[in-house]
Amino acid sequence: MSFTDQLLAALLLYGLPLLFGVIMIASVGVPLPINLILIVSGSFVRQGESKLWPVIIVASAAAVLGDQIGYGLARWGGRRLVARISRKTGFKAQFRKAEALAKRWGGPGIFFSRWLVTALGPWLNVTSGIAEYPWRRFIFWDVLGQVLCAVLYVMVGYVFSDRVQAIEGILGNLAWVILGFIVAVILGWKIVKSLRS
Amino acid sequence: MKKFRRQQWLILAGFLLIVGFTSFKAVHLARAVTFWKAHRDEPIRGWMSIGYVAHSYHVPPHVLYSALGLPLTPPDKRPLRAIAKGQHRSMGEIQAILQNAIIHARPPYPPPPDPSPDREGPP
Repeated sequence: MSFTDQLLAALLLYGLPLLFGVIMIASVGVPLPINLILIVSGSFVRQGESKLWPVIIVASAAAVLGDQIGYGLARWGGRRLVARISRKTGFKAQFRKAEALAKRWGGPGIFFSRWLVTALGPWLNVTSGIAEYPWRRFIFWDVLGQVLCAVLYVMVGYVFSDRVQAIEGILGNLAWVILGFIVAVILGWKIVKSLRS
Repeated sequence: MKKFRRQQWLILAGFLLIVGFTSFKAVHLARAVTFWKAHRDEPIRGWMSIGYVAHSYHVPPHVLYSALGLPLTPPDKRPLRAIAKGQHRSMGEIQAILQNAIIHARPPYPPPPDPSPDREGPP
């Protein structure tokens, strides 16, 4: 049985405590299939194995807690480390530039990485912490995005409760195609702009 | 044509990488959608419970319980892998038993009646 199958089997046996633990660990940065876990949880809700609101509340709370841990570790540990490395390697100016960029575009980045491209979420926690993105704004976008993420994926699992594996395959690829398309349009526009100037 | 600067080359390389990656994911997406359209049934996996298989295949749960020789009540919430272990069977055997029961519970075969007493009508 694959690791994902073992996780899903454990979810069936241990329910909400396991859901909380897995989502929190994944939000800190351990790559775990949380989208599939949320979709399967939605399917269990449809089958009457669990209730809708506890699943959404537990999933959102676990994700926000994990994000806060990632942000906190990066802000109070990672920043010093990156500053030391950038001083030694002479990339101080680039570090400042990246920091300004993260502060400027942090909000939408945090929001979309919570529910659209969830694999990028832990990375955005780290970059936000290192760039000292204001904590109040971070938690605002984080809670907004994570609640949307939990509602979205659990409801997808609820609606397509009999075909969770197939729908997860479609959603996972669709998110990357959307993100890739947006980035390609931005980069293409930059190339055209620089050719014209 | 003007000569590209280093930064412009980097943007172009990034653009080509993103286009390649997005195309790769788009192919996977197309495959997943084709699979979705072609297959109504999910493959039976070790993490699934009997209830989930019955729900996914739209067959009455009692058909699957009786195929595996398990009592209908209380509902067995164990994953199929645990049931296989408990019955000293391989996962392949469990899958074959369930598939066979599912085939015989779907049209043109009528599903066998529910044996649970609470679902029986008045005498």
